[in-house]
Amino acid sequence: MIEVEALTKRYGGVAAVQDLSFTVRRGEVLGLVGPNGAGKTTTLRCMAGIIPATTGTVRITGIELAADPVAAKRNLAFFPDEPRLFEYLTVRQHLNFVARIYGVANYETVAGPLLEEFEIADRADRLPSELSRGMRQKLAIACGLLHAPQVMFFDEPLTGLDPLGIRRMKNSIVKRARDGAAVVLSSHLLHLLEEVCTHVLILKQGTKLADGTLAEVAARFSNGEARMTLEDVFLRATGGSEI
Amino acid sequence: MLRALLYLRLASFGNWGRSRIRRLREPKYLAGATVGIAYFYLFFFHRLGAPPPRHLPAGFAASGAAGSAGMLPVDWLPAAAGIGALGLFVACVLMWLLPRGSAALGFSEAEIAFLFPAPVTRRGLIHFRLLSTQFKSLFGAFVMMLFSNRWTFLGGNAFTQAVGWWFIFSALNLHFTGSGFSLTRLAEAGVGRWRRRFWVAGGLLLLVGFTWARLPAAHRLPPPLADDLTLRPFAGWVAMVAGVEPLRWVLWPVEVILRPFLALDLRMFLGALAPAFAVLTLLYLWVLNSAVSFEDATIEHARKRSERLAAWKTGESRRGIGMIKGRGAPFRLLATGRPEIAFLWKNLLSTWPYFNLRVLAGSVVLIFGLWAWIQGRPEWRGLLPVAGAIAIVFGCYTLIIGPQFARQDIRSDLANSDIIKIYPLAGWQVVLGQLLAPTAILTGVAWLCVLIAALTFHPSSPALGWLTPQVRIVAALGVAAVIPPLSALQLLVPNAAALLFPGWSQSSRMRGGGVEVLGQRMIFFFAQLLMMLVALIPAMAFATALFFIGHWLAGPIPALLLAVGVVVAVLAAQVAFGVWLLGRRFERLDLSSELKP
Repeated sequence: MIEVEALTKRYGGVAAVQDLSFTVRRGEVLGLVGPNGAGKTTTLRCMAGIIPATTGTVRITGIELAADPVAAKRNLAFFPDEPRLFEYLTVRQHLNFVARIYGVANYETVAGPLLEEFEIADRADRLPSELSRGMRQKLAIACGLLHAPQVMFFDEPLTGLDPLGIRRMKNSIVKRARDGAAVVLSSHLLHLLEEVCTHVLILKQGTKLADGTLAEVAARFSNGEARMTLEDVFLRATGGSEI
Repeated sequence: MLRALLYLRLASFGNWGRSRIRRLREPKYLAGATVGIAYFYLFFFHRLGAPPPRHLPAGFAASGAAGSAGMLPVDWLPAAAGIGALGLFVACVLMWLLPRGSAALGFSEAEIAFLFPAPVTRRGLIHFRLLSTQFKSLFGAFVMMLFSNRWTFLGGNAFTQAVGWWFIFSALNLHFTGSGFSLTRLAEAGVGRWRRRFWVAGGLLLLVGFTWARLPAAHRLPPPLADDLTLRPFAGWVAMVAGVEPLRWVLWPVEVILRPFLALDLRMFLGALAPAFAVLTLLYLWVLNSAVSFEDATIEHARKRSERLAAWKTGESRRGIGMIKGRGAPFRLLATGRPEIAFLWKNLLSTWPYFNLRVLAGSVVLIFGLWAWIQGRPEWRGLLPVAGAIAIVFGCYTLIIGPQFARQDIRSDLANSDIIKIYPLAGWQVVLGQLLAPTAILTGVAWLCVLIAALTFHPSSPALGWLTPQVRIVAALGVAAVIPPLSALQLLVPNAAALLFPGWSQSSRMRGGGVEVLGQRMIFFFAQLLMMLVALIPAMAFATALFFIGHWLAGPIPALLLAVGVVVAVLAAQVAFGVWLLGRRFERLDLSSELKP
């Protein structure tokens, strides 16, 4: 579903991401973790086609992003940490706009359940400025899910959500993965990743330190210890612990 | 308190100036500042020392007492005082009529955070706010003086005009604050909005009625428009009306505030100062004595202002959050079809609701109706050439300046480029879609101007005998056909600037105004003019040659059709190439790296 090979992104002489390779298959949820400035958001933005990679290739559902970006983007959705909405479109008009862009013919039948799922159906005629931060986040996610993407990238998806919203969001991500989507999500909330992710990739200064299933990565840094949390693994991998 | 305010303002001003000077190290600001300073020097400062030529504009220069040299400021003074006083009076009345919330003082969120919990009395806070507005009034007076010093019908000099503007702004500020307090008091006393409006409007009607009744019967209506379109009779009539009691009594304090500004010489100016200060003092005392609880409303006002500024700075809102209302779509957007139309739909939603086909059709009907009505009244036909000339000037203005104002395109969506880049669209599709709304708006406005010009243009010279009604209709349709690609081409320039130099484009939005931002805009504007010339010259040259050949071979109408077809084809090709080029640029755009310092 998602194949990343030797991805490198440079800003001038600075490498934000360097020689990164990994694969996310159908039904898998990959957690992208790393300290601030590790290159997580840059990696997600490269994979979503927002910024071009300096070198390397990204394939979305087998389509090379650089060669055929339009076809590749039909299958993906990107959810930034800060919901970017058009302030002058209501909730309903956002969905109408996105439906036309993606050509979702029967969008009303898809949009209704989505609005219900994210509990914004009763605010369908409100503008983003009339919604709370969490509601805006939910609207951005509903827009992204409208065309039933097979590949999803979440950048800090739980920012601004209340506890119930967090629970629903986690369930939603897991449900989409069970339905066959490939998901990559970046977050500093390691307990969330432990609950949701099947795989994890640790980045530091743009370079991959480790990837694999949670058990595989834990085993690599455990030094024989049992029951290590992802937080323990993260701290050891990134050199942030007192060990 | 006064020292704290002075410290705050001076320290803020110093830091603002330092940051401005520091950022001149960046070429984009240095270039902008150079152009901006040159503009201000050439158009304003180098004239400050020299007295402007003192005579009236062309419309006022008429034969009569002033002779062929035209009216001098002294002739103009009564009418200027009357018109100015009426204008200020209307502004003050509107403060009592227009909807307003509870009395709020314009504190910033930071000022609220520091001052409201501080041991400062309510009266102290009001003083703080009133003194703060003085800084704005002084700056506003300076800026307005730069303009008014060029007005040829004014007397005085730069200094007297600057002080005059300060009196006007201070009086308006004090009246705005005082009326806000009074309206809140009235509301708390149970006087509702409509009851208050009823009394204000009733008082106004009485005033107009009494004044009208006291006017001589022959002067109750404005004089008819003279054949030579001079405004002298109208100016005289305004001065006469403003001098009739009881309107004169009501306008007296307003006129007193205007006197320093309209003073013809230093003696008049000095004589006008004491009465103007007296009126300001009365307004100040009124504000102090009518003060009500303003804290809650002020905090809410500051929050909304902060949100509006944040939205404007990030490009999320073109009109400010407080002004946006959810409304019906301009047309029904089907879920399938060309995706570019979705951008047209979205961007039309972002602008004023009257940019739609219904209003355009209504305007066409109105123009035709007015034209038909005037046709039956020979005494009004003199207005038709004037309307035609205004329409042509406004149409040209729309095409040349319009792209700077119709910004419902990439410029406004630059901050959303991350989201737009996720869409499964080629870059050219995004650029084309984004250009549609402003092109449609400019085209609609320009088409109305063409219609007015076409209806009002009647060549009287025998040399233009070949311009038959049929030829004129084809010519008007030809101009109308050229307008959409020409507008799109014009819009490509500022959009190209936004995509090629997003740092420049964003800087003017994110870091506030200033002489360097003004200079940047002027650079873009001149680039746009240059682009129009470069784009039009080959098309026009080719089309002109074809027109003359076609005219010789087949007559004017086929020649016009041929020429228009060529111009449209050349412009459309240029637009297509520009859209493709900008699309490629959009695909490679990485806003986050472009905006890195």
